[in-house]
Amino acid sequence: MRLSFLLPAFALFAAASAPAQTFVFKGERWEINDPFKMDSSIPPKPVVDPKKGTINVIKGTIDRTSNQGGIEVTLTRKLSEVTEVIWPTPARLKEAQANVNRGEPAKALDNVEAVLKFFEPIKNVPGSWWVKASIVKLDALDRLENDAATAAFLDSLEKEEAAKLPEVATQIQLARLMQRARKGDHDAVVAESTELLTKVDSNELQARLHIVKGNSLFASKKYEAAMTTYLRVPVFFGSETEFIPKALLGAARCFRGMDSPALREQKLESISNRYLYDIIVSFPVSREAEEAKRMLPKEERAKAEADQKKIAAGGPLPEGVIMAKPKLAAEEGVEANK
Amino acid sequence: MLIQESRTYKLAKAALLAVLLAVTPLTGYLHAQATKPAAAEKQEDPLSVLFKSAEKALEEKKYKDSLALFEELDTKAVDVEPKLKAVVSFRKAICQFFIKDWPRAETELTAFLDKFPKGTEDFFDNDNRRGTAELLLIEAFSKQGKWDLALARLEKIRTNTLARPEDRVNAFTLSAQIIVDRNKSAPEEAKKAAYSQAIGLLKQATADGISTPERREAAYKLVEMYTKLGLTKEASQLKNEIDAKSNGSPVEIVRSNFQRLEIGDARFAAAESAADETFRGDFYRQALTNYQGTLRRANLASSFGRAIESKQTEADALAKNFPKPNPEQAANIERVKQEVAQFKKIQDEFNANKDYDAFISYRIGLCLLELKRPWEAHVAFLDIFENSPAFSRISGAYYYHIVSLRRIGRNNEAQAKCKEFIQKFPKDDQVSAIALILGEISQEREEFPEAITHYKWVQANVKNLTPEVAEEIDFRIAACLFSQVDWALAQKAFDEFLKKYPTSPVRQQVLYMNALSLFFQGKYKETKLSFDKYEQEYPKGQFIPDVRYRQAIVKFGISPPDIPGTIKLCEDWLKDFSKDRSDEVIAQTPEVYTLIADANIRLADEIDKRVKAADLDVRINAKSPDKAKFVEIRTKVEKEKEVVTNKAIDGYEAAAKSARTNPQALEFALGELRKLLPGRGEHKRMRDLFKEIFDWNHNDPKAMTYLYEVIRSTERMGDMPEFAAEAEKVRKKFSDQLAAARKAVDTLERKQGVTQPEIDLAKASVRKLSTELEVELAKVEAKRQVSIADQKKRALKILSDAVAESINDRTQEGTEKLIVFLAEKLARKVKRVKPGAKPEPGAYTNADAEKELTKLLRLEENRASLVAQARGFFALGQLAIFTREPDKTAANFAKIAQNFKAEELNPTILAMVGDSLIAKGNHQKAAEYFGYILEHSRSSEYADYGFSGMAEINFAQKKYKEALSFCNEAIDNNILMSKELDLRFTRARSLAELSKYAEAKKEFEEIAKTKEWRGEKTAASLYWLGLMAERQATDEKGYNEAIAYYRRCYMTWKKYEVWAAKSYFASAKLFATKLNQKDAAKVLLKEMLEKDRIKDTREAQEAKAFLLGL
Repeated sequence: MRLSFLLPAFALFAAASAPAQTFVFKGERWEINDPFKMDSSIPPKPVVDPKKGTINVIKGTIDRTSNQGGIEVTLTRKLSEVTEVIWPTPARLKEAQANVNRGEPAKALDNVEAVLKFFEPIKNVPGSWWVKASIVKLDALDRLENDAATAAFLDSLEKEEAAKLPEVATQIQLARLMQRARKGDHDAVVAESTELLTKVDSNELQARLHIVKGNSLFASKKYEAAMTTYLRVPVFFGSETEFIPKALLGAARCFRGMDSPALREQKLESISNRYLYDIIVSFPVSREAEEAKRMLPKEERAKAEADQKKIAAGGPLPEGVIMAKPKLAAEEGVEANK
Repeated sequence: MLIQESRTYKLAKAALLAVLLAVTPLTGYLHAQATKPAAAEKQEDPLSVLFKSAEKALEEKKYKDSLALFEELDTKAVDVEPKLKAVVSFRKAICQFFIKDWPRAETELTAFLDKFPKGTEDFFDNDNRRGTAELLLIEAFSKQGKWDLALARLEKIRTNTLARPEDRVNAFTLSAQIIVDRNKSAPEEAKKAAYSQAIGLLKQATADGISTPERREAAYKLVEMYTKLGLTKEASQLKNEIDAKSNGSPVEIVRSNFQRLEIGDARFAAAESAADETFRGDFYRQALTNYQGTLRRANLASSFGRAIESKQTEADALAKNFPKPNPEQAANIERVKQEVAQFKKIQDEFNANKDYDAFISYRIGLCLLELKRPWEAHVAFLDIFENSPAFSRISGAYYYHIVSLRRIGRNNEAQAKCKEFIQKFPKDDQVSAIALILGEISQEREEFPEAITHYKWVQANVKNLTPEVAEEIDFRIAACLFSQVDWALAQKAFDEFLKKYPTSPVRQQVLYMNALSLFFQGKYKETKLSFDKYEQEYPKGQFIPDVRYRQAIVKFGISPPDIPGTIKLCEDWLKDFSKDRSDEVIAQTPEVYTLIADANIRLADEIDKRVKAADLDVRINAKSPDKAKFVEIRTKVEKEKEVVTNKAIDGYEAAAKSARTNPQALEFALGELRKLLPGRGEHKRMRDLFKEIFDWNHNDPKAMTYLYEVIRSTERMGDMPEFAAEAEKVRKKFSDQLAAARKAVDTLERKQGVTQPEIDLAKASVRKLSTELEVELAKVEAKRQVSIADQKKRALKILSDAVAESINDRTQEGTEKLIVFLAEKLARKVKRVKPGAKPEPGAYTNADAEKELTKLLRLEENRASLVAQARGFFALGQLAIFTREPDKTAANFAKIAQNFKAEELNPTILAMVGDSLIAKGNHQKAAEYFGYILEHSRSSEYADYGFSGMAEINFAQKKYKEALSFCNEAIDNNILMSKELDLRFTRARSLAELSKYAEAKKEFEEIAKTKEWRGEKTAASLYWLGLMAERQATDEKGYNEAIAYYRRCYMTWKKYEVWAAKSYFASAKLFATKLNQKDAAKVLLKEMLEKDRIKDTREAQEAKAFLLGL
């Protein structure tokens, strides 16, 4: 009664969850030394296990020592022979993503460049992290608002095979969109992002596009439309924690923009402050939290900071606070390594 | 198959059913003989043909045909191997099973299991089908409700260590399901026990992980059980584990997704029934997280697409690689094809479910609404209208969207949505409820005519109103008429209502309101009858206190009024309801006291007539011997009047003191006391009363008024009536003496022979008396002044206390008003002197006022408070405004700018100081302050300062587009309190600078012609109109048009020298350079330079140089 048709999937799963860094060649698999894993020496050096393959980027090879009949033999294979990469998310890529989230784009670039360099020779091999790293780099450049560097990177990325992947193509389109937004071409950005929203299916891209669209609507002083656009992120993409603080901050700004003496009864200033409070309480380590603290009146800022500490210490959630649930780690892993 | 999917995607179940009951393609032949056929081309055995036909029919789901063929085969295939007999038996059982003939399926399966201990042996593959047969038999038992038999069989499998592990896992799962199914109709407790038992079994099934489909199936079931038992944490954890091990097949994706929805629904249901608020919130949050975690249509569709594509590629590759497949390969190809078909079927089914996304949005919206996040709920429901307008629950979405809109205070939008709904779905079940909301919103906003219009619109347009709603609408229309004080119409409506709905649940209220409608029309006779009817029908009714109070008013209102009767009813009322602390009674108490006071005033008025008559009698009988008698009568009546007047004052005072929740009664009582108390010199009573009321709530909008009365009464307390009496006494004392002395002088002067020294002595005596009088009066006056000064000091102390109370609280915007009030008081004490002149020694000077202000604000005590210090500078700046020292104002405001960040100040100070900074050219700091107002205080009454300031700064920096944007935003959103003129003027100038002359002209002309704005901006607008005409001019006519505007400016508005000078100079330049009229230019420039106001302007300097060049 076994579901034989599921077996390939199990095999895939088994591969995906394999703990070691592995390169798959036709007919064999080699475990590879993780170049990002450092020992405790000063300065730290990569941990090298001679039984595992070590990449020689210059020669474009992988070398491994094997004991055959008591004799140590060095085996070499070309990087071009790798047919599949089985590699858990590199720590520096994770760190780069965290840097981006924390608003440290320069540090993110530093981390992501190492990953890009390592995976460069095998960038088009299934399981390579090069594409993901490129997207993180795009994100970091976008945060740096360095249009020249972003444009140059986008031009080179567009020539890559990976650019044909729908996800990457969308990211490129998104980055171009961000550049246009920075140039103040907001009407076009709104139109294009609206169109793109109907095409992309991943929650991450949806959330990101909503932020871009919201930003342009906000810049055009279309506060109401911007507010509903921003709020779609926490409402529908609550697990996209990276984007929630951005969306909440955008919404808070919109409420302030919408405020006027005629709408005093709606207490939009308090609503705005409530969102800022939520950011501080729910996303204390984010650039948006710092901005929220700046925007909040100091009395409320003090309260938010105190509440955040209480919640961090395990206190109950204040009424109305909806803590965003992080994405499931397993989902993340499966998605990223496809 | 036993395993049921509750209301999840049935195809997920289908996929698993397919696994259990798949008609496994044959890998061999059924031969009549035990030996294999010699060659393939040899004619086929009839039994094999028969078997193939039966298998084909089974594959084509023609179960009855298949069964008939297998039965025929069973009869014919006598001499065959046992395993082949077993195959036939098994197939017969399968057919019976699919036909759902459970008793026969049971018989056949039991026979198969009893007769063939080795099952089908190796006929199909390595599976001898005994396990399957066992499970099918169990299901057959279950279908017939033979739970115990089913469970007994399952227990055998579970405990059989030789059974295949997958079969054992399935046995656990099925046992759990049977236990739950068996208790479906059992009481709640038994159900819960069943779930717990099921959980125990399923935990055993998943004890070794969930890496096989069977174990995952058990895990899915376990999630379901956890959810049903409310063990969300466990359910979510396990769910995440299953998801993490998902193989990505559409079946699993769909199933996982719907399970997430189910967990969400379970949490939502738990929240709905939770009694504890804390738990409820947590449950809604958990539900929301699950709903948000479900994949949306686009995402799922994409997953399906990818899975189908990949599976199709696999199928194509197999077909290509094995053009002539062996049986095993053929089976594999067939299996992959089946999977493609299955995936497509799931996709089709999913695509057919158009409501999928809308349902998720709907659920998310409901959770958010419950979690008090109406803005997010609004967004969730908006999503339905935008993306799923054909949603099957659209009426519910409308309803909750309307609720969201109301919660966020968007009543107009809510009403528009109500109308849209009624028009779109006139026959919907929700239409009555929504129709009611439509009018209710207007009614709540006290827009009664609109409410009536809405209700009547509903009556006319909604055809399927429920009788209850129709009745409610009739009532609401009458209530609206009542509320908008259309008493006659309201009364008519209530009368009709009572006739139409004699047993209405709101009859009591209608009776009462009907009587009130009569009452307010002054029809006291009818009112009394109506109230009597109410009291008769509802002797303990909810409106009895008010009815009794109104009955008292009726007595008071009839002609002639029954004053004692009124007072009696009021006193009874107070006695009867003194212990009633209901809001209505508390609010009504001051009205009852007021009525007592009014009645006493009426009595006093009546007595006053008698006082006047008595007074007349006294005058008429002034010289008669009965004078004393008449005086006595007058005194008696006056005392009588005094008694009732005092009662009236007591009544009003009691009313005021008890009117905390009844502002109307409070204002009325205070108004009466303002008339009565000061005239009687009862300043202390006034002060104490207003102080008590002021202390109720210092943030009350009227608190300033009360404080003002406290200050005024306190000041007046200094001028006590005793001083006037004492002065009068002194005057009286001296008046007789002076009269006698003057008479003596007069006599001496007339008398012959009196010497001048004698006369002088007499005159000296008069002068001495006069001097003595003056001295005595001065003593009284000095005492009076000391008393007044003392009380003024006290008044300032009260004011100072009020300011000091909130001086540290940045959010208290009323504090600035108090500061301005205080500064104004102190400025009044300053004795003004001409500029340059020294004040008299000992006079109260500006410096004294500053010192006193600092002291009264208690700035020393509040040194640590930033906002208090800022308020100190603000107060000194304001004081300087009142003492007309603009430099000091600017200097104090500049100190604020130097020392305080925007976030340390409040909008009032930011606005005032910002304006001062602009005037001084400190645009950077001003922009910081105005920016802060725009970011934080757009709803404050100083928001327009923010827009105006930012516009002005941008205009000065030649950022005309930005300046225009600020002006437009303020004007479009009507944020125009005190800066409308400035904003419109800057808008006009920005438009002009952006060469949008037509729009600019319209704006400038509007400013120039608005009477209320006559002044500097009028002059400036005329100049700008000229300037624009000049910029656009291409010929003489154009330049003349410009000159005409300039002329209007300098002729009409000479006092605004800057604009007049600009206009003069601009005209002269046009005359000289464009119209070739240098003489006219010279005349004009000379005229300009003769003007005193103009000659020192910058334009005058330029004009001089220009004139020399002409």
